[in-house]
Amino acid sequence: MIQALFIALSGFGLLMALGTVFARNLVNAALFLVAFFFVVACQFVLLEAEFMAAIQVLIYIGAVTVILMFGIMLTRNIQGDETTTVTRPWRLLGLGVFGTVLAILVLGINAHEPWTALAVRPEFPVNQDTTTERGQAILSMTPTVGREMMTRYVVAFELAGLLLTAALVGAVVLAQHEASDVVNANADIKETSEKAAAGA
Amino acid sequence: MSNQIPLTWFLYFAAASFSIGLMGVLMRRNAIGVLMAIEIMLNAANINFVAFWRYGPTHSGEGPISGVMMALFVVTVAAAEVAVGVGLILLCYRRWRAADVDELDTLSG
Repeated sequence: MIQALFIALSGFGLLMALGTVFARNLVNAALFLVAFFFVVACQFVLLEAEFMAAIQVLIYIGAVTVILMFGIMLTRNIQGDETTTVTRPWRLLGLGVFGTVLAILVLGINAHEPWTALAVRPEFPVNQDTTTERGQAILSMTPTVGREMMTRYVVAFELAGLLLTAALVGAVVLAQHEASDVVNANADIKETSEKAAAGA
Repeated sequence: MSNQIPLTWFLYFAAASFSIGLMGVLMRRNAIGVLMAIEIMLNAANINFVAFWRYGPTHSGEGPISGVMMALFVVTVAAAEVAVGVGLILLCYRRWRAADVDELDTLSG
């Protein structure tokens, strides 16, 4: 039952990923990407990492897609959507790389013998006092994440905060209008209007 | 059908998603489309982290949720990357009126 669910979900997700890559219209591609992110969130639920699923929905569907949508809106090409994909030889090259990388990855997954021992996931009994550390972490993921962030991963946590601050300040600095641009644009408008007035 | 999903199924899904994302990076001309394909690849990596964490054995000293923490930091870096990437693309678009990666060839001489 759960295997059938996984197969249906994964097939849908791969179709959505292909739609993201091949959609002519970039807005359609972004919507396909939302569906793919949601399928990944469902996979996290199947892996019993519900906290990651919530984070996936909040950050990827809620924030990253919105940023991408704003990017699409602000850089809408004048020549339309016809140039969003490459010409035929490059398309064949891309398909070749896709096949090669997928074949190498699948061969690698198949060739690794000890993983057959991991075919059955470790069971963690629910509502028992004898659960292991990881079983308790799965049962109460959010407090465990908070505790780990403040103890074992505190340096990485601080660095991630620094990275986010730097990235957001950098993005604002990059994307803001430069004052000289505005002045030049105003000068251009003034010049053309003066020319128009002189012509009239 | 048994009631268990083998680890390899998650790995196959992640491998296929990663390959599709790589193909998208190579085949898209629009820079925003390239960013979307990179996001697909990062998500595939995250699935692998969480799957290996859930199926793998525990080692002492790694903590109870090592794979989930790694995936969380990947999400953090991906969010920062998208913000900076879209800012850069906006800057390029404003300066050269082009959001296609093959038109931004000022450095190629």
